[in-house]
Amino acid sequence: MNIMPTGLWVWPWSLRKNGVLGINERNLSYLFELNSRSLYRFADDKILTKEICKKKGIPVPQTYAVINRFGDLRNLERIIGERREFVIKPANGTGGRGVLVIVGRNGSLFEMAKGQMMSLSDLKYHISTTLSGLYSLGERSDSVIVERRIVPHPLFEKLAVAGTPDIRILLFRGSPVIAMLRLPTLASKGRANLHQGAAAAGIDLKTAQTLGGVCRNRAITVHPDTGAAIGGITIPAWDRMLETAKKLSEAMKMGYIGVDIVLDAHHGPVVLEVNARPGLSVQIANRSGLLPRLKIANAQSFPENSHKTAFQ
Amino acid sequence: MLNRYRAAIITAIGLVVMGTAGVYLRLKYVQKQEGSQGNNVWRLTYNIGFPVIKEGKIYIALPDNTAQCRIVRESFSHKGIWMDVLRSKRTLGREAVIVPIVGYKQGRFIADFDISLKQDEKLQVPPAKVKLTPEEMAYYLREEEAVQINSPDLFNIISQLKEGKITRSKILERIFDFCSENVVRGGGNAPADALGTLRQGMGTALGRARAMVALCRAERIPARLTTGFFLKIHSDVRPHYWVEVFYKNNWLPYDPENGYAGKLPVAFLPVRRDGIDIVRTPARDAFQAIYSIRHLLPAPTFVFLPDNRFWSVFDLTRLPLNMQEIIALLLLLPLGALITAIFRNVIGIRTFGTFTPALIALCFVQADWRTGALVFFVVLTVGILARLLLNQLKLLMVARLGIILTLVVLCMILAISILDYMNLTPSASAVLLPTVILTMMIERFNITAEEDGLSQAFIVFAGTLGVAICCLLVLGLEGLGRLVLMFPEIQLFNVAALLLIGRYSGYRLTELWRFRDIAHS
Repeated sequence: MNIMPTGLWVWPWSLRKNGVLGINERNLSYLFELNSRSLYRFADDKILTKEICKKKGIPVPQTYAVINRFGDLRNLERIIGERREFVIKPANGTGGRGVLVIVGRNGSLFEMAKGQMMSLSDLKYHISTTLSGLYSLGERSDSVIVERRIVPHPLFEKLAVAGTPDIRILLFRGSPVIAMLRLPTLASKGRANLHQGAAAAGIDLKTAQTLGGVCRNRAITVHPDTGAAIGGITIPAWDRMLETAKKLSEAMKMGYIGVDIVLDAHHGPVVLEVNARPGLSVQIANRSGLLPRLKIANAQSFPENSHKTAFQ
Repeated sequence: MLNRYRAAIITAIGLVVMGTAGVYLRLKYVQKQEGSQGNNVWRLTYNIGFPVIKEGKIYIALPDNTAQCRIVRESFSHKGIWMDVLRSKRTLGREAVIVPIVGYKQGRFIADFDISLKQDEKLQVPPAKVKLTPEEMAYYLREEEAVQINSPDLFNIISQLKEGKITRSKILERIFDFCSENVVRGGGNAPADALGTLRQGMGTALGRARAMVALCRAERIPARLTTGFFLKIHSDVRPHYWVEVFYKNNWLPYDPENGYAGKLPVAFLPVRRDGIDIVRTPARDAFQAIYSIRHLLPAPTFVFLPDNRFWSVFDLTRLPLNMQEIIALLLLLPLGALITAIFRNVIGIRTFGTFTPALIALCFVQADWRTGALVFFVVLTVGILARLLLNQLKLLMVARLGIILTLVVLCMILAISILDYMNLTPSASAVLLPTVILTMMIERFNITAEEDGLSQAFIVFAGTLGVAICCLLVLGLEGLGRLVLMFPEIQLFNVAALLLIGRYSGYRLTELWRFRDIAHS
């Protein structure tokens, strides 16, 4: 990994000068102010997010079934049928927790993305622990979604390790302010979540070109596993993605959200989920702080108040 | 939002002002009381070991409340015996009756008494008046093995003391003067019985007390020996003997050894009346008794609150001692929350659960480190092993957690029992809470390990442990529990600090590391 030879830490005013947004400020000034608590469940519960998407005509992975009760587990065999590829995920999971991606099948054995085999009873156990709330926020009881598996776009082949890359677009008051291409790694076990060890490349919002990236909070230029350069890739269907994200952000009625979009080889941009507490590593991926971007976006949405800070 | 920030600051300032006012008023109020009623709390400890003899009951005299001293807390622990606390019919003194359990070779009885003395009185007030029945009267005039009253030598002394025509009170005075001045204190070889002491004019402390009892009884004044403790700091604590004389319907104390007549200092704590043994056992001298006396930390206001004004509800130090301990723990919990908030929001350290570190710290504030280490070791080992095994069975979460908790509890109890068998009794209260908290932490650890990798789980675990240790270092500060109990208004400062942290929008310390590459690029 090509970690830049830098010091161990920087002064806070240096971060301020670079417009870096910290967690406390994100929570106090953005999440609390712009995202109403009562709306969080529409982002946290993927079933509700999908319903909103469907209403607005935003493409989402096709849902095969929703399992709400332990009793429904009897029907699992019928739900799966002859399918060889599908995804099982908790409706209220975060950070890719509890997501099973089945990529192949050998009779009654199901092959996971990592090559591990699972029997039908293994799947049932996984679903029942999910239902009892293992992966949900606050350990409430949960639902399980069985849906179509995304076929990764061939463009990302070199960059995708054991998982599907996705694109996170952060929107402030409906305008995209920053974006990144999230790349699963071996360390992240195929998941695209940065805190689990995934890498990410910043995306220039205007040109759709990827820039340098981030992995485990360090600036990088190549994929940590494959060594392939992560910059200089043009994201296909970029305008459609931005439009999708804006439309969804408007429908969610939240002022500060992250929209996760995957590029399906056959269906183009598909929304996977919405994050009402998007993380801040995206700033490292873009080598750019969020604060100036938020200021510009604010001035655009309230031109008459442009001399004031965010939301007065 | 700026005005929310301002509102938080204004509220915080208001709370600080209120808190300061509270502390000021309390200091003023407490100082006023301090002169009139301080407190003086002592801990008397019995540690008595004895061989277990079949059908041999043992009686151990216990201290009791008197007009000047109050037992604010007592605890017993014993091994190899059944125990019951009874009152003697004749003297109304308290006694622990001990029945050894057959099968044990050695029995042990340990008791702690926290005794609060009324300090504003130097001497004890006379006890309430009582009446003796003729039978009791005869009993307290009896001849005993070491209190001989039928001897020519004794009569000689009596007739000398009775020279001239004098009143009974004068005789009593002379008897006391004789025993405390004419009879001198002897060393270890001096006689310990009444007659020997009187004949030689020299005796041990017990001999002098017995001599006085014998002289009184010979003069038909009911008298008895009293055994007790003198509450002061000394290295070698032994029972002290003095005399109680029944005069004008009162049992009046006389101490020939120290020269107190009629009134004793409040620090004299009677334990057994009409007897010289704290421990009465059929196998005499086959036991070992170690007594110790410790002065507990003073507190400005204490149990003897004279006025029942409503304001005293704000004085938590008036509550019983054992309740105070729990209240002090409760009052420390918010401070733990403040420390956790600082670590999470200002420094930026991840922990399992919000209050887990504070709770862990609190559990160990009152436990000794051995118990703490034991709990920690047993719960973590058993929990992680059980979790590994149960993973194979694939159980639902609540059931799995329940099984792990059960196993942890069983092992915990087994460990306590083993420690007790080895005579290292751990404090049971220190075991209760951490067991549950640590079990939950194991579950969170496992989930994090499965989902985010073992290294992440260890980082968060280390964070939790580190914050817990910092909490422990602060909450365990000598006297802090006392301070929050005396000044509950400290909580207002705590809320003020939490308000400021709650609106702190600056960078977390760890973010200076996390985002370093943006600033460097």
